[in-house]
Amino acid sequence: MDASMIFAQFMSGLSRGMMLFLIASGLSLIFGVMNILNFAHAALWLVGAYFCYTFWYLMQGTALGLWLSIILAAIALAAVGWIIEVVLIRRVYNRELSEQLLLTYALVLVIDDLIKIVWGVEDKLIERPPVVADPVFIFGAPLDSYFVFVIIVGFGVAIGLWWFLKKTRYGHIIRASVYSREMVSALGIPIPRIYTGVFAMGIFIAGLAGAIQAPVGSITLGMDMAVIIQAFCVVVIGGLGSLLGTFVASLVVGEVYAFSILFWPEGALVLIFIVTALVLIIRPWGLFGTPVRT
Amino acid sequence: MKIKVTIIACMLIVLGGWVYASSSVAAEPYNLGVDLAITGTGALYCKDGVDAIKLAVGEINAKGGFMGKHPVKLFIRDSHTKPDIAVREAKDLILRDKVRTILGTYSSACAVAIKPVCKEYKVLHIPAISNSEGITLTHFSPYTYQVVPNSYMQAKAVVLGVAELAKKKGWTNYITIASDYEWGRSTQQNTVELLKKFAPNLKLKKEFWPRLGETQFTSYITAIMAQKPDFVIGSVASKDNVAWMKQAKAYGFFDKIPYPGSLISVSELILQAKTLTRGLIGLCRAPFFAHLDVPMMANFVKNFRAKYNRYPSDWAVMEYDAVYALKQGIDKAGSIDSDKVKDALKGATIDTTRGKLFFRKIDNQLSCSSYIGVVSDDPKYPFPIYHDLVEVKGPDSWRPEAEILDARSKEK
Amino acid sequence: MNRYSWLGLIFIATLILPHVIGEFWIHVAIEILIFGLFAVSFNMLFGYMGQLSFGHAAYFGVGAYATGLLMLKTSVPLPVCLVFSMVAAGVAALIFGYFCVRLTGIYFAILTMAFGQLIYYIIFQWYSFTGGDNGLQGIVPPGWLLNVKNYYYFTIFIVTAALIVMWFISESPFGYTMRAIRDNTERTRFIGINVRKYMLINFVVAGMFAGLAGGLLGPFTRSIAPDLCNWQQSGVPVFMTVIGGPLGFFGPIIGSVIYTFLFAFITGFTEYWPLTIGLVIIFVVLYMPGGILGLVHEKMDFFKFKHLTNDIDKGLEKET
Repeated sequence: MDASMIFAQFMSGLSRGMMLFLIASGLSLIFGVMNILNFAHAALWLVGAYFCYTFWYLMQGTALGLWLSIILAAIALAAVGWIIEVVLIRRVYNRELSEQLLLTYALVLVIDDLIKIVWGVEDKLIERPPVVADPVFIFGAPLDSYFVFVIIVGFGVAIGLWWFLKKTRYGHIIRASVYSREMVSALGIPIPRIYTGVFAMGIFIAGLAGAIQAPVGSITLGMDMAVIIQAFCVVVIGGLGSLLGTFVASLVVGEVYAFSILFWPEGALVLIFIVTALVLIIRPWGLFGTPVRT
Repeated sequence: MKIKVTIIACMLIVLGGWVYASSSVAAEPYNLGVDLAITGTGALYCKDGVDAIKLAVGEINAKGGFMGKHPVKLFIRDSHTKPDIAVREAKDLILRDKVRTILGTYSSACAVAIKPVCKEYKVLHIPAISNSEGITLTHFSPYTYQVVPNSYMQAKAVVLGVAELAKKKGWTNYITIASDYEWGRSTQQNTVELLKKFAPNLKLKKEFWPRLGETQFTSYITAIMAQKPDFVIGSVASKDNVAWMKQAKAYGFFDKIPYPGSLISVSELILQAKTLTRGLIGLCRAPFFAHLDVPMMANFVKNFRAKYNRYPSDWAVMEYDAVYALKQGIDKAGSIDSDKVKDALKGATIDTTRGKLFFRKIDNQLSCSSYIGVVSDDPKYPFPIYHDLVEVKGPDSWRPEAEILDARSKEK
Repeated sequence: MNRYSWLGLIFIATLILPHVIGEFWIHVAIEILIFGLFAVSFNMLFGYMGQLSFGHAAYFGVGAYATGLLMLKTSVPLPVCLVFSMVAAGVAALIFGYFCVRLTGIYFAILTMAFGQLIYYIIFQWYSFTGGDNGLQGIVPPGWLLNVKNYYYFTIFIVTAALIVMWFISESPFGYTMRAIRDNTERTRFIGINVRKYMLINFVVAGMFAGLAGGLLGPFTRSIAPDLCNWQQSGVPVFMTVIGGPLGFFGPIIGSVIYTFLFAFITGFTEYWPLTIGLVIIFVVLYMPGGILGLVHEKMDFFKFKHLTNDIDKGLEKET
């Protein structure tokens, strides 16, 4: 076991973490602003992957087919997210937590079956474009070249979100609405429109994440079930509502998983839940969240 | 008013459901149950299997059904690749649909799970995709007939080949990667146990157990490559196998490390036609191209292609054989009664697409072969097939009867 | 007709049921009873204490495995196994509940879910003891219960006894303390009640009855799997309770009748059960927040069972 192989393991953990971040960031954004834990986030992520497949399939043979499909899938999913927000989510803004959770969980069931109806039960396979077919070698360690792309996109999304929230006017409005809904609407800015925009943005990122996941293996039904729990854990560990927390937690979880393969393979999955439980017990607001009374 | 209407509507629905459900099926048709993974990890293989079953049933019904007078009625249920759901569906099939035989399942764990249920309700059980040895070795059920080469047989076929290679190439250590569930565990265990017997100088360096349904193998790939083993033996389950091979290839895995004897069924040959590394030594269970000289196989391939516009995979072949095994059992027994059929099938020799084979009495295992070959392109087909095909016959590769009796005596 | 004589009539009807319906529907009826018990135990946390647990299936699963393992590996009689199930589930609930009750709201929900998944993965990975993902197969009930009608009466007996116990708990001062904690935790704390201790006791009791339900399931289905502990399974009692109505004692039972029957019925002719139940839940959440009981209570005065539904008015007040 030499240094270059440890580096390879580190990089595979990083790519796994970035994948997680792409999924969890939308979830964190939606919860941070709207205070709704969107159970259906991974189901929509999966729809994004299927969208990507369909676009890629239609554009097979064209040069930039895959890359275009990824963008198109994200946009298409954002549209779907927009519709869901207006039709369903809006009605439970002021309802109890249990009703919000139930609604979004029921949505998972509906979406998963709709995927089955529309795309069928067979796995979908996307061929990798030649540019990412071979491994690249960094410091002597082989690295899946597609994952380099994933890592870059992950950083891109993180920086993009940070810049959007901290530096643009829209970002300021959104952050203000977290502090005080009443003030923002008193200033004449309609809260529902902000929420719809935020939701659509969160789902856009989910679509991007799903589309990026699509060429990694095969796209199969039920992939979202394992993912949603991991996304919840990441958001909790990082701190509900903190994007920086989500970013850090995703990378940590990805690395823990990658290295536990080497030392405690059976425990890889258990470890994530133990950490989540510990965080909730010792510091419920997570690593970077704002301390709240529970 | 609205409430009254709702209540009456609900009561009508309940009444309707009860009437519909309790109207029992007449004894004339033969109710055949299928408990396969329509969704879940097994969906890839099961679709082919279900299509082959439908083809077989269509052929039989064209002649009037079993014994010419019992049209076959199919009831297909989804086991979701989960044992408890498979059991639930099996019970449903038996109690609600009154099936006499269940063809299934995909997952070995599911097959082991529904075995006792079928035994309790005296329903025939023919697995044609699941192949863990646990199905036939212990907790023997006289109602279960296995038409797939079981995990021991497959492992032995691989081991004999690998032991040869190891001697030739001077290998000394290896690593295993196997999906962490019944089939993966059973196969890996059998392989390691047999390797110790036939190539005692080989050392097992490390074992990797990705969970069933794993989609990202990168951490495993880098970990294995870091260990630099002489070769790797893989028992990764169907859907996961696709992801595993795709991702490993992207790391240049197969160029660096020999990967002999993993299960590359005809499904994978077709699905990964463009990307599969040629020259890999693979294992499969029932390749159609190995038996085109058998008229039953040639006909089956022709009809399957005509109906579905594609070539049949191993799973299609074996499910087709399963239906015809049942038919021959019924013909031999002269009755559709499951107890008589099971007695007729015991030790029986039947015609299959893979030739004339027989069921071994001690475990109801069909004497079918395992196939090892080199993945190569072939001008006759749009996908690679196996060349240099070695057929390891059933009786040469199954577990000796003495060991079976020994294992059973240790059961609770 | 006296309100309570309706209950008596329904009870007599359930006793006669196996003789008028087919064997398949007797199986369905047993499922309704087992999951009804599971859902009522969940409602002790949700309807009466006001906290949403998304990991209650863990205790259901622990109970199932306790009975399953005992029946497969020893010759302990079934009723004793059921007691063990309750104890095992209670112990698990005590260990995990200790941490859960220090949180409320969404943190409580997520922590219960995390612990539920933890138990699921422990059972899943501990292959040598629990059979891992193969589950436990071939669990056979004792001879006198092999006939499904007998198992049905056995289940009715156990479930009715459990429901009576839980009813008394819910109508006791302890039960009213729960309601107080639900309605106004701060004030309850101020009058000197150790809220955490009471919540923990309730959590353990709820866990024990979930374990009892789980114990009944194994010998019935002959097969149990780790999936009984996961979060999707935890959603089932939530669905049942919400459909039936969380603010009445029998709400979850009504929910179980509807859910289980619907499941058996719909899966008879379509595979799209998740779609169906998903749409039903969305409908119920948006238009029937008090569940069936809530609807009935609003529209039909005759069915106002004072003791059974004394919370519905208050609960519905909270909605507006």
